[in-house]
Amino acid sequence: MADDTRKKTTTKAVATVTLTIDGKSITVPKGTTVLEAALQNGIHIPTFCWHPKLKSVGACRMCYVEIEKMAKLQVSCATEAVEGMVVHTDSDNVKQGRRAIIEFILLNHPLDCPTCDKGGECDLQNLTFEHGYDDSRFDFRKSRFVDEGSTSTFDDVRIGPEIVLNRNRCILCYKCVRANKEAFGEYDLGAYERGNITQINSAPGEKVDNPFSGNLVEICPVGALTNSDWRYKIRVWLTKTTPSLCNFTSSGTNTLFYKEDHQNKIFRTTSRRNDDIDDGWLPDVTRYGYQIVNSPDRLRVPLIKKEGKQVEATWDEALDLIHKHFTEISDKMGSVCIGGLASPSLDNKSLYAFSKFFRTVLNSNNVDFRSDYRMLPPDAETVFSRLCSRPFKIADIDDSDVVFVFGSDLLREHPNEYLRMRKACNFNNARVFVVNPYATKAADIAALEAVYKVGSDEQAINGICLAAIDDNLVSGPKAKALAEKLSPLTLPETSKACGITVDDLRILARALAESRKISFMCGEIVTRSKERETITTAVSNLNLLFGLENKGQVASLARYANSGGACKLGVQPSPAPAVKDKLKEIWGGYPECEPHNTDSMLALMKKEEVAGFFVIGANPIMLHPDRQFVREGLEKLDFLVACDLFESETTEIADVVLPLCSWAEYDGEYVNLEGRSQRAERAVKPMFESRPGCEIIKLITAKYEKSLGEDEQLTSEIQQLLDLDSALPLPTEFMAVKVVVEDKQDEGFEIPLFVTDDPHHCGHLTEKSPSLTSFADDAYLEIGPDLAERLKLKEGDNVRVESPVGKVIVPARISEHIENDVVLIPRNFSSTPITSLLMRKKRIDRVTLSKVDS
Amino acid sequence: MKEVLKAVVNVFLKMPLGFMVTIKYFFRKPVTLDYPHKKRPMAPRYRGRHYLERYDDGTERCVCCGLCAAACPADAIYMEPEENEKGERRARIYEINLLRCIFCGFCEEACPEEAIFLGHEYEFSDYERSSFLWTKEQMLVQHPRKDNPFKRIYRRVRKAYGAPDKIS
Repeated sequence: MADDTRKKTTTKAVATVTLTIDGKSITVPKGTTVLEAALQNGIHIPTFCWHPKLKSVGACRMCYVEIEKMAKLQVSCATEAVEGMVVHTDSDNVKQGRRAIIEFILLNHPLDCPTCDKGGECDLQNLTFEHGYDDSRFDFRKSRFVDEGSTSTFDDVRIGPEIVLNRNRCILCYKCVRANKEAFGEYDLGAYERGNITQINSAPGEKVDNPFSGNLVEICPVGALTNSDWRYKIRVWLTKTTPSLCNFTSSGTNTLFYKEDHQNKIFRTTSRRNDDIDDGWLPDVTRYGYQIVNSPDRLRVPLIKKEGKQVEATWDEALDLIHKHFTEISDKMGSVCIGGLASPSLDNKSLYAFSKFFRTVLNSNNVDFRSDYRMLPPDAETVFSRLCSRPFKIADIDDSDVVFVFGSDLLREHPNEYLRMRKACNFNNARVFVVNPYATKAADIAALEAVYKVGSDEQAINGICLAAIDDNLVSGPKAKALAEKLSPLTLPETSKACGITVDDLRILARALAESRKISFMCGEIVTRSKERETITTAVSNLNLLFGLENKGQVASLARYANSGGACKLGVQPSPAPAVKDKLKEIWGGYPECEPHNTDSMLALMKKEEVAGFFVIGANPIMLHPDRQFVREGLEKLDFLVACDLFESETTEIADVVLPLCSWAEYDGEYVNLEGRSQRAERAVKPMFESRPGCEIIKLITAKYEKSLGEDEQLTSEIQQLLDLDSALPLPTEFMAVKVVVEDKQDEGFEIPLFVTDDPHHCGHLTEKSPSLTSFADDAYLEIGPDLAERLKLKEGDNVRVESPVGKVIVPARISEHIENDVVLIPRNFSSTPITSLLMRKKRIDRVTLSKVDS
Repeated sequence: MKEVLKAVVNVFLKMPLGFMVTIKYFFRKPVTLDYPHKKRPMAPRYRGRHYLERYDDGTERCVCCGLCAAACPADAIYMEPEENEKGERRARIYEINLLRCIFCGFCEEACPEEAIFLGHEYEFSDYERSSFLWTKEQMLVQHPRKDNPFKRIYRRVRKAYGAPDKIS
C-alpha cells in the first residue's frame, strides 16, 4: 500500500481528504499518510524508520497514534489519511505506547553512549529522554554480536573502506538497506538472519563501497553505522555548522560543514536537504571531498623561481614579480600575448574579477575556463552552445515519464541526476532509456539500454529519427522535411552503422513519441567529442521531430561546480552576444583583439606568440586531453603564474606559484547546472598564507595602480550579468547531419578508450582526500568480462595500455556491466598520466592492451 | 614586707594560674604539623587534583566521551579521542588546565565510566604556567595498584553488557 501512496502524492493529487489531528482540522491530498499529514502541519510525531524520500515500512513502530474507532494504536507512517479520521498524537495511550516501544528497542541496545559517535545527535538518545522510562525492567544479559577472535570490547566490523558497523547498536529500522536499494540501486548491504540475531551486514564477500555509501551513515538513527571520517574525532556539540555547497559536482548539492573554530578544521560534511536539487542525498565525492581543505599538503606560501629553483617568497615579492614580467611582456609584444585559464570550480566573484582583469587591465581577450575540453566551440552561436544554454530543472526529472540519457555515464558525471533518475523510475514509474557507447550502471532500471558503436553518436540519433518516420510515429511536413535532410540515409543502414538494432531504434522512437513529459540529458560523451557539433545537430533534429522541448527539457549538462557561472559571466574567449554587450555597457569598453581559447592559446605558445600565462585553480597538464601538447606549450612560455591548492604538474614548471583558498575558506556564490545561484559560506580561516582567487586578482590589479571596483560594485555587476537570460533557442529548422567517417585508425590499435572520472572522484583535487583515496587511490583499467576473458586478464592483473603516442601500466578491474569492447580509465590520479595516451585530433582514442608479467 | 609578700604570691601563684592554659598545652600533642615534612590527611570527599582511574588489567577507564569537558563550568578540560590498536575509543590527548579549574567536581559527577576523580592533592605551585597543564600520562594512576575500590562497580557494568568476566 505504501508504494501506491507515494506514487499518488508525488504525481497528480487532485482529490483531498480532511481529517482532524489533535483537534486541528487538516486537509491533505488523498493518499497522504497520517504521519505526513501531521508533519506537514507542524505536529511532531517521533520516528526512527521513516524517511521522507523512502517508502514506508513501519519497522520501528515509534510513530504510534491513536485513531478513533480503531481498536489499537496505529503506525501513522503506514496508515493512509481518510476523510473524517480523528487522530490523537498526544493521548495517554499513545504516550504509553511510545514508552513501551522505547523500552523494547533498548532491550538489546547497549548503553555505550560515551563511546558512541552518535552521542549528542542520536535519535534514540533524544527519544529516550523524551518518551522513555528512567530505568529498565529487564535485568538480563543483552544479546551481543561478537566476532570470533576479537579482543575488542567494541564489536565493530569494518564493512567498507569508510564504513564501520556496530551490530549491537542497530535497532533494525532498515533505513540503510532501503536507501541503498530504493534510492541508490545498490545491493551491497542487506539484512541477514532472523529473530533476535537479525543483523545488518554487507553482502557476503562484498564491501559497502558504492558511490553513495556515506548517506547510509548519515541516515542511521543510532550509532550502528559510523564512518572513519567522523569516528572518534570530535563530539558533535563542540562543532559549529556552516552551510556550503559541493565544489565537485555541477548540481550544487547543498551541504553543511561541521567545523571547530580553535583547530580551524572541518570535521565532516552532511546534507542540507534541498528538494529542488539533492533530495538530501550526497554522493561520496561531495561528502568526503572537504578533506582537501585541511590537507597538510596544501601550498603554504608563494613560491618564485630563482635560478631554476622555486624558493619561498612573500606575497609582495611574488606580486611585484608578476607585475614586472607581465608589463615587460606587454611592452615588448603587446598585451594580447598574455593569456589566462581559470578553473570552473571558482566562485562567481573570482571568475568575474579574472575576466575583468584580463579585459580591462591587460586588454586581452585570451581568457578561458575549460582546460579539459577536447575541442572548444569556435563561436558562441553553435548548436552545441545553444544546447548547453537550455534551461534544465533537476527536480523535473522526478515526474518525467521518460528519462532519456544520451552519451553519458550519469553515475560518474552527475551523481545527483543519476539518483533523480532512479527515483523517477522507482517511485513514479518513469521509463528510463540510456543510449551510450558502453553499458552503464543504470542498466537495472533502464527500460532499454541501447549500446551504440563507439564514434557513431550522431548515427544513433539519426536512427531514432528514421525509425519514427518509418513507423509513422510522426507524419506530415515535419517527417517529410527531416527525411529530406537525412535523405541518403535509410533505417537499416543507419542501424547497421550505429550498431543498435532496428527494433531497439523503433522502441526508442516510440518512447519519445509517446512520452508526455520528458527529460533528455546529454553528457560527456557528447560534450567531449570532437564531433560534438554534428552530434548536437542530430539532437536538435530529434528535438524538433518529437517536440521534446514542448513536453519537457532537453539539455547538455554542465560538468563543474561553476561552469554555469563561468558561461554567464563571460569567462570565455568569445562570450554570448548578450553577455558581451552587457560587459561593454558595464565596463564602458571591450577589447577588440582576437579571442583565443585554451587550445589556440597553447598553439600560440608553441609559436612563442603567447608569452605570459596566468592559471588559477586549473591544472591543464593533467586535465587537457593532450598532455605533451600542453607541456610543450607551457614550457615555452616566458612567464607562467599558477595559483592552486596543491603542488601539481602545472605549478612545478611555473615561475610564480601562489597558494589559493579552497571554496570552504571564503564566501562565494556558485551557479549550478540549472542556472541557480547559490551561496557557500566561509567555514574556516584561510589555511597558511593562501588567499581567495578574487583577492589575488585584486592584489595584482593594485600593482598596476588600477582597481576592479569595490566588493559591492563587483557583486552588483555580477548580478546584472546573472540576471541576463542567457538561454539561446535551439534551431527551429531541420539541419543536415554530415555523416562523419572515423579518421584512419592507426594499425593495431583497436580498443576504444574512454577517459572518465572515477565514481568517487572528480577533477584533479580529490585525490588529496584520504577518505576518497581509500575507495580508489590510483588509476585502473575498467574492462568488461568478455574482453578480459579474451585477453586472459584477471582482476588486479597489471595491463600495459598502449596508444600511438604513449603507454601506461595500470591494474585491471573487471566490471560486469560493461558488455562491449571498450575500456575506461579514470583521469583523477596524478600518479598515472592517462592523458598522455590521448591525441587531441582524434575522435576516438584507441589502444592495445597486453598483460604485464610481473 | 607586705609588698614583698604580694610579689611572691603573684609570681608563684597568680602567674602560673594566668599561664595555666599555656602550660597545659605544653604537655598536649600539638595541632600544627611540621608541614612540608608531614601532611594532614584530607577529608574523604575533599576535591583536589584530578586523577584518572584504570581497569584491573591496566587499561585506562577513560573513553574520551567528552562529558566532563561538557560539564566543566570553567572550560578547563580539553581532549581528543583516537582509536587504539583494539579498535576501542581512547583519549589521545586529555588535558586539564589546573589554573582554570575551580575544583567543583562536576567532571567527576558527569563521568559515565567512573574514570576521573578529584584526589586529595592540593599543592599547586610552580614557576611556569605551562606546568599546570596536566596531561593524561600525569593523571593516570600507577598500574599495578594495591587496592581497587572499583572492582565491584566494574563487575556490574561488565555483567550488564554481557561481557565475559575473564578480564576482571
